[in-house]
Amino acid sequence: MFPMRPLKPTFKSYLPPLQTEVKKTVQPPIKKLEAKLLPGEIVVNEVNFVRKCIAVDSSREDLWGKLICTNFKVSFITHDTLQLQKFQYTNRLLGEHDIPLACVEQVVTVNDAKGKQKVLGSNQKLKFNPTELIIYCKDFRIVRFRFDEAGPESAKKVCLAVAHYSHPADPQLLFGFEFAWKRHHSSTGARLNGVDIEGGPQVPLFDRPSDWDREIKRTGASEWRVCSINEGYAISPSLPEYFVVPVSLADQDLKQYSGFFAGQRLPLWCWNHPNGSALVRMASIKDPVQQRKLDQRICTAITKSHPKRSDVLKSDLDKSLPNIQDIQTAFVRLRQICVIEPFEESEERWLSSMEGSRWLEYVRAFLKHAAEVVYMLEGQHASVILQEDEDRDLSCVISSLVLIMLDPHYRSLVGFQGLVQREWVMAGHRFLDRCNHLKKNDKEESPLFLLLLDCVWQLLNQYPTAFEFTETYLTVLSDSMWIPIFSTFLFNCPRQRAEHCREFVQSKNSVREFNMLRFPCVWDWDQQFSRKDQALFNSPLYVGKGTSCIHNGTVKTFRRTKKTYSSTLRGLPSLPNGMLMEVETLPRRNSLAQRLRPDFSVAREAPESPSERFFREWLTRPADPHGLLLPQLLPSHLRLWKLYFLRWVPETQIPRGGPITAFHRLSLLADEIEALQAQLRRCGSASTSTSTVSTPNISHSESSRMYFKARSPDDLSSPPEYLTSSFPFSPVGNLCRRNILGTPFSKFLSGAKIWLSTETLASETL
Amino acid sequence: TLPRPSAPQPGDTRSHVEWCKQLIAATISSQISGSVPPPDSGDDANGYRSDSDAERAPLTLALRDGNKQAQMEEAPRVPGETIKTIAKDVMYICPFTGAVSGTLTVTDYKLYFKSLERDPPFVLDVNLGVISRLETISLQIGENNRGIEIVCKDMRNPRFAYKEEQSKLEIFETLTKYAFPLSNDLPLFAFLYKETFPEDGWKVYDPVAEYKRQGLPNESWTISKINSSYEVCDTYPALLVVPTSIKDEELRKVASFRAKHRIPVLSWIHPESQATIVRCSQPLVGPTDRRCKEDERYLQTILDANAQSHKLTIFDARQNSVADTNKAKDGGYESESFYPNVELNFLDIPNIHVMRESLRKLKEVVYPSIDEARWLSAVDSTHWLEYIRLLLAGAVRVADKLESGKTSVVVHCSDGWDRTAQLTSLAMLMLDSYYRTLRGFQVLLEKEWISFGHRFAARVGHGDENHANSERSPLFVQFVDCVWQMMRQFPSAFEFNELFLITILDHLYSCLFGTFLYNSEQERVNKEVHGKTVSLWSYMNSQVEDFTNPFYVNYENHVIYPVASLRHLELWVSYYVRWNPRMRPQMPVHQHLKELLVLRTELQKKVEELQRDVASSRSISSSSEHGPSPSHTSTPLYTTV
Repeated sequence: MFPMRPLKPTFKSYLPPLQTEVKKTVQPPIKKLEAKLLPGEIVVNEVNFVRKCIAVDSSREDLWGKLICTNFKVSFITHDTLQLQKFQYTNRLLGEHDIPLACVEQVVTVNDAKGKQKVLGSNQKLKFNPTELIIYCKDFRIVRFRFDEAGPESAKKVCLAVAHYSHPADPQLLFGFEFAWKRHHSSTGARLNGVDIEGGPQVPLFDRPSDWDREIKRTGASEWRVCSINEGYAISPSLPEYFVVPVSLADQDLKQYSGFFAGQRLPLWCWNHPNGSALVRMASIKDPVQQRKLDQRICTAITKSHPKRSDVLKSDLDKSLPNIQDIQTAFVRLRQICVIEPFEESEERWLSSMEGSRWLEYVRAFLKHAAEVVYMLEGQHASVILQEDEDRDLSCVISSLVLIMLDPHYRSLVGFQGLVQREWVMAGHRFLDRCNHLKKNDKEESPLFLLLLDCVWQLLNQYPTAFEFTETYLTVLSDSMWIPIFSTFLFNCPRQRAEHCREFVQSKNSVREFNMLRFPCVWDWDQQFSRKDQALFNSPLYVGKGTSCIHNGTVKTFRRTKKTYSSTLRGLPSLPNGMLMEVETLPRRNSLAQRLRPDFSVAREAPESPSERFFREWLTRPADPHGLLLPQLLPSHLRLWKLYFLRWVPETQIPRGGPITAFHRLSLLADEIEALQAQLRRCGSASTSTSTVSTPNISHSESSRMYFKARSPDDLSSPPEYLTSSFPFSPVGNLCRRNILGTPFSKFLSGAKIWLSTETLASETL
Repeated sequence: TLPRPSAPQPGDTRSHVEWCKQLIAATISSQISGSVPPPDSGDDANGYRSDSDAERAPLTLALRDGNKQAQMEEAPRVPGETIKTIAKDVMYICPFTGAVSGTLTVTDYKLYFKSLERDPPFVLDVNLGVISRLETISLQIGENNRGIEIVCKDMRNPRFAYKEEQSKLEIFETLTKYAFPLSNDLPLFAFLYKETFPEDGWKVYDPVAEYKRQGLPNESWTISKINSSYEVCDTYPALLVVPTSIKDEELRKVASFRAKHRIPVLSWIHPESQATIVRCSQPLVGPTDRRCKEDERYLQTILDANAQSHKLTIFDARQNSVADTNKAKDGGYESESFYPNVELNFLDIPNIHVMRESLRKLKEVVYPSIDEARWLSAVDSTHWLEYIRLLLAGAVRVADKLESGKTSVVVHCSDGWDRTAQLTSLAMLMLDSYYRTLRGFQVLLEKEWISFGHRFAARVGHGDENHANSERSPLFVQFVDCVWQMMRQFPSAFEFNELFLITILDHLYSCLFGTFLYNSEQERVNKEVHGKTVSLWSYMNSQVEDFTNPFYVNYENHVIYPVASLRHLELWVSYYVRWNPRMRPQMPVHQHLKELLVLRTELQKKVEELQRDVASSRSISSSSEHGPSPSHTSTPLYTTV
């Protein structure tokens, strides 16, 4: 799968070689093409002799095979191999050409002989035999199938089935339910891909008091307590069963207050700063009569929980940030220019179009707002309440960003996953509605979670040493939203999940077992990827907790004590940490680093606000990857997240280039360093007990964190051929914007808003 | 009348190293963090100040009044540099950090402003070569009622204000005189600069050696000395590679049919297919469709020299319409009907005037302040990146024709010294990994740009006050920008780093080195540039550490094709917007890589030590033990970085 061909000393071109015109003939498959099914998955319809379109300008590369619609995915099975394909990240749950139904954004059928096309929804009729099926995916892919040689009736049936099954009428029709049920009842039990899904990850799910207790302890929030009044969702339908409140608020008070908050959502504690300030999120208070009084009481309680009785500041998110529709509009515009518009047409005004989409402007607004909240907590030592009408959208993004900037724990893989679990899943972000899994209400759809990932990417891009994970991880995480197997992204709140599980089990006439319906959790990455592939999540630049390092000539394990933790949080230059080297070994490093930061050392003409001063002073110091991080927010600092937005666009793929080649080089070096450290440990133990010294160095490569491994010391060979700027994804066959009926597809779309609108096209063709 | 600083003696390596360090410190801060000439910070003053006392002494003398403050604010100098005037209480109006008062020194090489008002001291250091135009401005800031605006070629316009007093009248005059020495019958500073380096940069490029590296001469191609006294073409180098079978007489005929006598000559040959890149100027077809049998046969010979293809592709860098206009003006392009087996393509790249205008607009967008809300569309409106895209796309077509099509390529524009040089050198950079090394890139510049007569003097206007001259154009800057774009897309394919490119661009203007002076090899020979000036490569090759890309891996024999799409092209903020302290990019990743490299070296050392200890303790304690010998027990020791 990962060809490691030796380099030949010849000149090579990485453009596809000039093809000789060879007509591919229809070859009836020799072996029977069978769908690979998961537990609970059933085939709905299938059609043979289908062509999957690969190249934009010719059909030479097209693949022949069978198109199958199941209750989980659209699957294309073929014996052909992709000639142009150099690499494709393999997902254990999906075949190379599969699209989960939840990932289907729009289904378009075309009959080019009759000049007809139609967008298909659920339960619709189709009055022509389609010659082509185009599936627009939520992850930006555009996949095309042609039925020139296929049975017209079965082709039509498959198209209708894809349309129907990608518009489930009820959440319980999402495949995860059937899957979880069948898996529980099948002989393999709770094992999938040979992996125990019940055991799995050490990521705290925050569905039990102990997870919260640990977090309270870790942050030293002694004046806060876990509250269980919402057990059984008795108080608020959208709050988790357990959450954290000020010690001074008794359960009785909380119960009384809850009625006045939107959705009965009491204030939720997020985090405590070592200086005692707390971050709290809160819904709006509905009753204007109660508002002042209640506000007062909450603030007093939070102040009481502050060791220095500091003030409480409020940050009204609805007033200062774009709303969810704005964000959706920006996202749709960006998608339009990235993948829908013909490449050449959008090329000329690219920068202006990017600006016009406003996506980066919004990314900047969220980062900026989060940085301001950081200033209140860190610079003003004040507790902060994030207030949003329902406290289920914007505050998820802001609280996550604030925590990532302030606390290095959330920049580790486990920390980040726990953060998403807490601030999104448990806090009741409406994943079901925002992902629009049921495709019922487009107005509710909004890519807030992707917005968070993009903001995190910007931070990661600015401070690559501060994060344990990579952009590949962030991309794969966003893709997992469209695999409806993980409970993480399927529900609007924990209660909805519990209810649907109960109902589903009841419908199976098995009341006793409703606790047994356990969805896998996305954090158990073994479900989707091999251990080797998961190594792509690890950043070679991250040196964090538990990673051994050299300091003063001895191998030490880096552990953050409580003391250094708080000092780094205050942004003081910390002890040798991250890069762990003596200043003398690289004399210019510090001075250079300092000079590379924006230099605000002199006052500017405009009067400076305290927060500006705070940011300026922070930016003049070298950033500590394990301390406070603040984003750099000038337009040139914010970039388009190309791996996510452009990975399927064949025209933008840089063969053997892109940031991945630097990543490759860094990985080899990090791998070598790990090997040396392992060797050092062995030598160390060998000097005390000489018997072990002869153990050959074999164990290292298996335990390495790195995906790319050094084959030899000082490995300076060029990056492998399969590396492209899209790695580990491949645009081949995933973005087929071929013109139809001789018209560029964009022309065909003009009139339709952005995607094809069902009504306009339906009226044209019916 | 001012005493000179004591220049390091030739051969005095210690002072040389010291000086290099200072220069490097200055370069790094000016180019990466933008502080030597940067209007806003003075963190490099220390680098200079830590100078030996020997240099301090004459400086003290220079200030006869013994004013301590002014003493501290005086300028460090490079060997051969002379102070021409010093003015105290001058105000620098920094667009980023506000006005600051200090001492302004003008030498025959630079303008140096230093203020101790701020901590660290504020320093602005502008070499005079970078000045495009000097203007007096009227303003009133406190007592200061005189002002100068210094319009620079490198995207900034520093402004000074001072009191109208007798002594300060000379600031403007002195600046004008030394900023534009050629207009004032003075030598360029490169001829005064006295510095020796361990390496002689003039030896970097030896045409015979470079052609030999390419496998030339061979059966079909020969190195001709027909132009050894620049008689055939006064803007071409002395040595030319031409088809073996073409006689000198024919060459002269071809020369008379090509604009400026710039005949088709070989730039690069593919080591496998023998397909070639050939460069020339436009044919003088004229409105009457003149023909030249020798020229037609000449191109046929070039085609025949490559057995792999039956076609010859001509890339005319211009727009078709412009080429037609040129035809009316006695120029033109090859007609496919007179040149059988030739395929003509136009690359639609606008001319030097369009590029000059584009960079002018870009300067307006990036200096002094930027519009944060409309940043992307403002950059878009300059079309600068669009032209970068056109150039890269054209070069990719040239390279692909050679590599995939195995077809020989002829590239020309009108005169064959602007767009032609851009295209051939970019294509060569894609095709030949040698040119992506530190040395190779220098050879590429020396060959395709300097020796083949890119009109550096005219395009840059070294020492010339005529700023409005329409010959000026940032073609070389545009080329270096393309190289930077390629580096962005292939972070590990180039041996040199961003600082290397910025340093080259800074010395394109500085007139400190002789490398980019004059328009042609002939002029340089006449002016004895090699004997009387220092090569930029002497300096850069003495400090390769600083210019090396730590990500570099061996892409040998690999063609790299950058994606010429605006989705990947970026504004080179750390060059064009480097004066704005707020726009500086983040800490580059290569810094982290360097740290890892150090860590690895340390670990390697540690492992070696431990293994040595283990081995020795073992040999003492138990010589009878049947364990494997120490050399077997350890994994191979890695060589050092």
